[in-house]
Amino acid sequence: MEFANKIVQATEEIFGTMIFLDISPEQPLAVGKEVLDCHVSAMIGLSGDFSAMLSVHCAKPTSLAITGAMLGMEVEEIDADVKDALGEISNMLAGYLKDAFAEEDVALELSIPTAISGKSVTISSSPTKSNRVIIPFNLEQGRFFVEMKFSLG
Amino acid sequence: MGKTVLIVDDSNTMRKIVSRALRQAGLDFDQILEAGDGQEALASLADNSVDVVLSDINMPNMNGLEFLKAKSEDPAIMDIPVVMISTETGADIIDEAKSYGAKGAVKKPFTPDLINDTLGPLL
Repeated sequence: MEFANKIVQATEEIFGTMIFLDISPEQPLAVGKEVLDCHVSAMIGLSGDFSAMLSVHCAKPTSLAITGAMLGMEVEEIDADVKDALGEISNMLAGYLKDAFAEEDVALELSIPTAISGKSVTISSSPTKSNRVIIPFNLEQGRFFVEMKFSLG
Repeated sequence: MGKTVLIVDDSNTMRKIVSRALRQAGLDFDQILEAGDGQEALASLADNSVDVVLSDINMPNMNGLEFLKAKSEDPAIMDIPVVMISTETGADIIDEAKSYGAKGAVKKPFTPDLINDTLGPLL
């Protein structure tokens, strides 16, 4: 299963086609416990030939920039629109991955996306020891992260 | 008389993006109505004269396929064209949508040109 490249391709296509913000991916996180300075996270489940949870984690400035670009207006606080916008990004990412895996005869179904906000998000287990891929992306306003936790069993 | 479009999506953000894409595509509707799920869409169709519907598939309460099926069973609204606009555009889902009368599908993420190419011929 190749997740990292698919996630990068999906994220770049979505941001290039519908959000119109320049992003650049970094290498997937490869170290253990890291506190990501994030304040809002959106997630969506995938189930079928494997199970996965795809999440988008953003710090406040990044989440406001992304939401503002999607809505075409200035956004000043993390509110329902911000959670909705990030939820829709997670939905499009999952849809892209569903189609990409379908081309490899891997069938998946999507759940309804959801989003939460808080002070920070802690990523507490090592990506190298668990079935988890975390890819940072750079925006002018800071970094955001796309995470995929999966079970192949 | 101007045209009216109904955008059905549980995401307020996506409804705004679709509205903007319609304008960017040069599809100037006099009225843009919005609904958050299939149930709201059926209610809107009952209350308004709508020329075309753009509907998401993956929605709570009543999803896009359930909305299409219900619409196809109501003679008063069954002929209003619907284009699906969704992350879910696999052949099986689109075949099911077309069996209930969907006229086409646009995959998210989309460009205004793709919206125009799919929706334009229906107007």
